[in-house]
Amino acid sequence: MIEILRRMLRSPQGALGLVIVGLILLVVIVGPAFAPYDPEKMAPLMRYKPPSAQFWLGTDQYGRDILSRLLHGARATVLLAVLATALGTLVGAVVGTVSAFLGGRSDEAIMRTVDAIMSIPSLLLALLIVNLLGKSSVNALFAIALAFAPGMARVTRSVALAVRKQDYVNAAIARGESAGFIVSREMLPNVVAPIIVEMTIRVAFAVMLFATLSFLGLGAQPPASEWGLMVSEARRFMHLSAWMILWPSLAIALVAIGFNLLGDGLRDALNPRT
Amino acid sequence: MSTILDIAGFSLDYATPAGFARALDDVSLSIAKGEVLGLVGESGSGKTSLAWAIMRYLPASARETGSIQLTGKDLLKASESEIEAIRGRRIGMVFQDPSTSLNPTLPLGEQLAEVLVRHRGLTRKQAWAEGEERLAHVGLKVPRQMMRRYPHEASGGEKQRVVIATAFACQPECIIFDEPTTALDVITARQILDLFKALQEETGVASLYISHDLALVSQIATKVAVIHRGGIVEQGAVGEVFARPQDAYTKKLLAAVPRPEHRLVETEAPKASTPLVEVEKVSVFYGRKPFLGGLLGRANTQFTGNREVSLSVMPGEILGIVGESGSGKSTLAKAMTGLNRFEGEIRFAGRRITGLADMDRAYRRDVQIIFQHPDSSLNPRQRIREILSRPLALYGEPGARRDAARIGELLEQVRLPASYAERYPHQLSGGEKQRVAIARAFASRPKLVICDEITSALDVSVQASVVELLVDLQKRFGTAYLFITHDLNLVRQIAHRIAVMYRGDLVDLVDVAALSGGDLHPYTRSLLAAVPAPATAAA
Repeated sequence: MIEILRRMLRSPQGALGLVIVGLILLVVIVGPAFAPYDPEKMAPLMRYKPPSAQFWLGTDQYGRDILSRLLHGARATVLLAVLATALGTLVGAVVGTVSAFLGGRSDEAIMRTVDAIMSIPSLLLALLIVNLLGKSSVNALFAIALAFAPGMARVTRSVALAVRKQDYVNAAIARGESAGFIVSREMLPNVVAPIIVEMTIRVAFAVMLFATLSFLGLGAQPPASEWGLMVSEARRFMHLSAWMILWPSLAIALVAIGFNLLGDGLRDALNPRT
Repeated sequence: MSTILDIAGFSLDYATPAGFARALDDVSLSIAKGEVLGLVGESGSGKTSLAWAIMRYLPASARETGSIQLTGKDLLKASESEIEAIRGRRIGMVFQDPSTSLNPTLPLGEQLAEVLVRHRGLTRKQAWAEGEERLAHVGLKVPRQMMRRYPHEASGGEKQRVVIATAFACQPECIIFDEPTTALDVITARQILDLFKALQEETGVASLYISHDLALVSQIATKVAVIHRGGIVEQGAVGEVFARPQDAYTKKLLAAVPRPEHRLVETEAPKASTPLVEVEKVSVFYGRKPFLGGLLGRANTQFTGNREVSLSVMPGEILGIVGESGSGKSTLAKAMTGLNRFEGEIRFAGRRITGLADMDRAYRRDVQIIFQHPDSSLNPRQRIREILSRPLALYGEPGARRDAARIGELLEQVRLPASYAERYPHQLSGGEKQRVAIARAFASRPKLVICDEITSALDVSVQASVVELLVDLQKRFGTAYLFITHDLNLVRQIAHRIAVMYRGDLVDLVDVAALSGGDLHPYTRSLLAAVPAPATAAA
């Protein structure tokens, strides 16, 4: 673990990714405590203020402090994105590994089903699920997890197929191990590295997908300070104050870039041969 | 005789994050016109690094001192464009595996003609005609067609002939052969060697022949150099080195070479009335039966792995199975351990087994398999302790011990320290890993252990110690072995009987003593004739 960290710090993208993601996680954990104002406190006399010493990032259409809203919203945005990706990855990894282990007709059936789900664009699929389940952050989480699972299943299967051919899996079969043991103890630990890399990159997509859902009014609901929702609300007042839309957009971009860099760095660190 | 290649005091280091790693240490060699220098060493000894150093194709992390001279010109000081004119033109190279050294997307003729166009300035038409002539020269039956074929349309031996033709095409002064027969079957390897000898005599090229096989080098080389950990420990005329080795390492290497006349177990198989396991007309087919294929009148495209193989193993007997790659040796091993579907039946200790469902816990406990590559047969994410505890957990009687002491005993049984239990496989050497695999197979005290080419990925000296361990375990526990290998010299040392497989069929099943004479299948005879005699035969 320490060895991997050290190797990541050696590459520029890994080091930068670690710093950005570290900062974001810090904001997620202690951000609300440092917020100068209550994120939902309205001040009719202080609307559309540009950044100043009083309001570092300015105020929105109700006079709420944007910095406080961003600090509070980080938890909803980043945490939900990470959870959704983790859930989707877990489901996808298990499906992919089981599919690779079973092989033959079962593999064919599972993978063609996955193909069918993958042929629907993930945003459309997420929209469909949220519409069916109702508008809420938790439903959006499930929708994104489900939209990500097929892609992860595909990635995992391609790695697991190579692992399936290894003699330690043959040895386990010849030893008479159960299918559950082989999938969970022999195969999954050996496909974990590429999956973690894929996962970190997908967190960035999840943040954006979340923001998109909220932007369309299907994820977080007002007065939540979720970043996508903030962009969506600020759109109408763009001509009055461009700051309102700029800050949450920048925050989303920063998270996406941070996780992408982290993924790149991890890929190099976990596979020293490339 | 004039010296063609002269290497003097050559050292090579690779820069690594942990400092410089020495790959070659003060190597001095010289090859004259018409000479064949055999460079012998185990994996990691620096043989291939030397070959690449001569070809001037080293990674950027390489640091060199000394000199490599080709007819008086120091290659270390040559410019990039000079090297490009020398490579392929004056120094040729033949690689280990013809299937990876040829470009799969270009016809063979194209690849040969390119060298002629590039280095001899022929037009494409001339080069093509010349190429055909070259291919005929290396003994290919239909050179015209062969020029148009793609690498996947030719066999391994044919491909290696094309590579050799390419290397000789520009009449270079020096050719480096990097284990050119290792990836080939015994009989094909023999033919390639004969071709090498003929071409060598005809052209008088100075050859550097790199190999790990002492027996082979003793037959073709005029001089031999033994390399160990980057340094040449001994060099001289072949007869001299093999008959009177001076260096301790050379002696150890020579002693490790398997010799058929030197038996490691008693020739008499233990007497028993009933066989331990009987394989009765077992056939294995690969590929699925085409769905709807029968209805649509399509031919069955299944591939035959084994065709009605019948054999039996007595308790405590070592049965050797030999054959070239693709002959169905491993397929049979996999069928017997439930990794392949099979038709026919296996009788084990009186029980009939006709499919996977019949292989219960008792059968699996008694029949264990050890695989060829220890790197892939041990899970890299598990500690040795976890790896060894699985068979104990699966087969152990309720009261049986499964504690650290038992794991330690298992490790000591294969002559490894008990402290290895806490290590991961990548912290062990190849030979040690294979010992762990052996310990895992013996954890359940099996009656039959199937050894699937378990020594072919190991170096000669390591192979000797692993074989010795197996023989020792066999004497202690009376275990029967099904010993699958392509090394006839090795199997003749330890097996009681030998089964010969060819293209999925069992063609011969004889006592080991009957191999030296008697009534044999023609294939067995050609196999025996193709095996290089062990090293001291040259003395």
